Amino acid sequence: MDVVQQLVNGVFLGSIYAVFAVGYTLVFGVLGVVNLAHSGVFMLAAAITYGLVAFHGAPLWLAAPAGLLAAAGLGLVIELGALRPLRRRQAPEIAPLISTIGLSLVFVALVEQSRGGGWLSFVWRDGANSVRFPAGTVPDRVWHVGRLAMPADKVATVVISVLLMAVLGVVVNRTQVGRAMRAVAENPRAACLLGIDVDRIVLWTVVASSAMAGLAGILYGVTIGDISPYIGRDQVELRGLAVIVLGGVGSIRGSIVAAYLLGMVEVLALLGFGANVRAAVAFAALFGMLVVRPGGLFASPAAERA
Amino acid sequence: MTFVTSLFTDPQGWYRAHQLLVGQMGVNALLAISIWVTLFAGQLTLANIGFMAIGGYTTVILAAHAHAPLVLSAGAGCALAAGTALMVGLPALRLRGVFLAIATIGFSEFLRFGLILNLPITGKGQGLANPAADPAAIWPVWASVAVAAWLGWRVKATRAGVAWAAIAEDEVAARSGGIDTTRYKLAAFMIGAVLAAWAGALDAHMNFFIDPAEYGFNRAAFVLVLAVVGGVATVVGPILGAIVLTALPEAVRAAASYRDVLFGTLLIAIVVFRPEGIVGRRRQSPVAGALRWPWTAPGPDDG
Amino acid sequence: MDEPLLVATGVVCRFGGVRALDGVSISIAAGAVTGLIGPNGAGKTTLVNVLTGLVRPQEGRIHAAGVDITGLPPHRVAALGIARTFQNIRLYKAMSVLDNVIAGGHLHRRRAFPRALFPVGGSGALGDELRRDALALIGRVGLDPGVAGRPAGTLPYGDQRRLEIARALALRPRALVLDEPAAGMNAAEKSGLADLITGLAHQQHLGLLLIEHDIRFVTKVCRDVVVLDFGRCIARGTPERVAEAPAVAAAYIGTGSTGGARAGRNGHRLAVISEPGTAAPRFGGANPPSALLSVDGLHVAYGAIAAVRGVTLSLRDGEVVALLGANGAGKSTLLRTLSGLKRPTAGAARFDGLDLGRASPSAIVRRGLVQVPEGREILSRLTVRENLALGAWPRRPDSPGPRIRAVRRRRGELAAEVEGLLTRFPLLAQRADTPAGALSGGEQQILAIARALLAGPRLLMLDEPSLGLAPTLAAEVFDLVGEIAAGGVTVLLVEQNASAALDLADRAYVIEGGQIQKEGAATSLRRDPDVRAAYLGT
Repeated sequence: MDVVQQLVNGVFLGSIYAVFAVGYTLVFGVLGVVNLAHSGVFMLAAAITYGLVAFHGAPLWLAAPAGLLAAAGLGLVIELGALRPLRRRQAPEIAPLISTIGLSLVFVALVEQSRGGGWLSFVWRDGANSVRFPAGTVPDRVWHVGRLAMPADKVATVVISVLLMAVLGVVVNRTQVGRAMRAVAENPRAACLLGIDVDRIVLWTVVASSAMAGLAGILYGVTIGDISPYIGRDQVELRGLAVIVLGGVGSIRGSIVAAYLLGMVEVLALLGFGANVRAAVAFAALFGMLVVRPGGLFASPAAERA
Repeated sequence: MTFVTSLFTDPQGWYRAHQLLVGQMGVNALLAISIWVTLFAGQLTLANIGFMAIGGYTTVILAAHAHAPLVLSAGAGCALAAGTALMVGLPALRLRGVFLAIATIGFSEFLRFGLILNLPITGKGQGLANPAADPAAIWPVWASVAVAAWLGWRVKATRAGVAWAAIAEDEVAARSGGIDTTRYKLAAFMIGAVLAAWAGALDAHMNFFIDPAEYGFNRAAFVLVLAVVGGVATVVGPILGAIVLTALPEAVRAAASYRDVLFGTLLIAIVVFRPEGIVGRRRQSPVAGALRWPWTAPGPDDG
Repeated sequence: MDEPLLVATGVVCRFGGVRALDGVSISIAAGAVTGLIGPNGAGKTTLVNVLTGLVRPQEGRIHAAGVDITGLPPHRVAALGIARTFQNIRLYKAMSVLDNVIAGGHLHRRRAFPRALFPVGGSGALGDELRRDALALIGRVGLDPGVAGRPAGTLPYGDQRRLEIARALALRPRALVLDEPAAGMNAAEKSGLADLITGLAHQQHLGLLLIEHDIRFVTKVCRDVVVLDFGRCIARGTPERVAEAPAVAAAYIGTGSTGGARAGRNGHRLAVISEPGTAAPRFGGANPPSALLSVDGLHVAYGAIAAVRGVTLSLRDGEVVALLGANGAGKSTLLRTLSGLKRPTAGAARFDGLDLGRASPSAIVRRGLVQVPEGREILSRLTVRENLALGAWPRRPDSPGPRIRAVRRRRGELAAEVEGLLTRFPLLAQRADTPAGALSGGEQQILAIARALLAGPRLLMLDEPSLGLAPTLAAEVFDLVGEIAAGGVTVLLVEQNASAALDLADRAYVIEGGQIQKEGAATSLRRDPDVRAAYLGT
């Protein structure tokens, strides 16, 4: 496998990481919370979309939006069930970590335990079984540019991701709602005094973030293939953390760059060293970045303090 | 419910039937205490699983290759963990809050993916067989829990204990009051590491086979949950949390298929309605909370 | 006799582009109390942070008893016998009073680790000795030993300050730095504190550095005084001499008139008007029914600490009302409550029929009650233009489904209004697309007010708008407020700069210790001897 092809693959992978990480970063930036249920939404959206296609014969162009809607709904559940009650009670910083862990457990268990015949209907054993979308769900086209092979579905992934980033960029930077989000992220009290309904902004942020996790999950399921209750945990949960740290916490642009970087580094490491080194690279980078430049790739070095 | 009632009607029989579980409870208690130690000093660190892995693997490797007795091999594991904690802690402990947690997760996972899964001596992905395993060796575990509990109880009266509590409350004030916060935070981190390594050693000793999947982030999250649900005000909380939450899946066999759903919901409920945990006391400071939300307005000294 | 314990020479300290300290020298001598005074933002706390090792200066040296300690970390500085208290009280709030003091004595506590593990016999004797010493210190600072077991956060404000001193004394320091220890205390408590401080200096031969705003307190207690302004020392000497220095008068007290070039900043309290908490509030009659804003017997507390104790005031449409008072008096808490950020514990507040005690902050802003908070609370990462645009947030239509054309039209209108404001404030226009955090304090203040205007307020509340501003900028701000009032907006102006505020206002209230102490027309308050003595420096 030549390097250039791998780099191109890295871009595909990076796109998925980017969509996932941007959602993660949004919530962390606006709320200051690491939403550990984010990966659960990733998985559940993929599973739901799969279920609709495989067991109810829905075409992908119907099933995917349904999956996205479900993901957004999960965002509602996360905010109203696991996050808002804690803010109301002025819970300590650790609390949202625990409550989102709990929610993540519930999401995984729901899929794990679904019985045959139900609409989620598959039963899993840890790591042993995974499913793929039925053949023909996605057109099989592969375009060739020079030596490079570019499967249509992966190209679509990149295109969708880029579009999403662009839309997000416009919303966050050019609209009042986007400014309101940035205001809440920086200083909720000042935002309150400006008349911004902080709770509502937070709700929209979490819902949008979950929709993005769902999109990443669906893209993953369709292009890379294996879907199991554990893809959230194994594939993206910790990598998402690595990306938001590398990119600079709360920085959307940083997360995007870091995601693509990570995608490319990983496939190159895979080429050179194998699957485990690939993950190790991500974590070493994570640790190194936090120690050297806690603000991420785009931050200025920390100010001198005694 | 027979699970609970048989404990009282036929303790010996119960013990014989659930030996493995009791051993697990003890190991989890030790792990929960190891996280508690750092929480007591105001640091949230999730590296314990990494140190547990160091303890476990060192013990098994030394037992298999050098036929070392448990005490020696476990001791070596602890020493290795302490050294690693020193190296990792020095840079990492400068971080605060959730960043420290993330950095320590990064370290743990790096250990797992980078070293354990790649080095031949650790058996790579296949895990390691433990020739000197002794599944009945439960008493060292609970003896350790007792010692750790005693130390944890008495620590508040010691000079170090007061220093740690001060650091957890307000690091700036503590430093200005003469407390070398870096040294104390590092000490707490290293003690937690040693305790986790010890737990890992004892745990590995009870198993014929250890495998890297046991030392992943999920276990770390589980241990955190044990400590927080138990309540981090005193050392009793994590122990209680470990006992209850390890036993819970067994006790609720009937709903086994949706056990995790129950577990997750329970977690959310506890953290929302009783954040101080089972044995905790509500923080009594009137100016509550560390969140920056508008509803926690600063105190009257702002005029 | 008077060896200098702690000497700082030529300290320069920069944060970003701001020179917080610009070549300051100061020395603390044993057996004497040195005062450090200056308007808010002058750099006093920064200097203390440098002296105690919390912040590293870019230039300059610190010496303790001849040893160069520049750049040493705080715990090493403490080990050399230098202790401090904090302006914002940094007690270990969840720990008991006793444990706070014990923690303070960390460096002198013997390491009795093995013995401490055994509660009886072993650490018993040790523990007793520890408790005894700690209780002695608690008594020394005037606290009731009975509170030893309570969490420190439940103590009343003045007692918390005393506890901080006890904790600092547990370090057995030779030099002690106190950062506004008397804030929030009444006259009797201050007297006790003054005795404590002079006792520490004269009997225990400590060297003390005292930061305070209460000039009478400073005069009573300090042997000599250093005055800081904008990071520079502008006067030093005995309290009497310093009080007479013209530079000091200009910095603190101005003749402050709107449009005047010599508007002063931060007229600080020079004396206490009356005893808060002892006299029943003299004003508390029912507010006129036509009032736009009416506050009746409002009580606001943070746990056990009562910040606002039965305040009654009102504003009629079109009035400009000033609220005078110093730090700790309860002004900001009152404003916070009026904006819905804090719920009152008793009493009522209504604005245009809206119950402020129940309404959400966004509903309050939409109704037209807009606050420009203390410290501006500018969104520093957003540009000036974006900050302004956000000011118009409350005027969004309620309906969630705007048609595209309507949105575009509104966006166009908004942009036009923002441009209009930028034209009105050329100061802001120059920086329209830079992050607001890069602006100076004065520019930020103007931005904050302009932003508030976009919300279309009926009542504008300003919390200390001239805080930390140079005289010319403060004058501009007051001019602006005057214009806004002339335009028909009702204004509630909270200020320490009594002079400028009274020039602008129709009526005024004086708040102290969480209660209204005086009320009346601005002109008559200007002539009131108590107010003159306390706020106008004459």
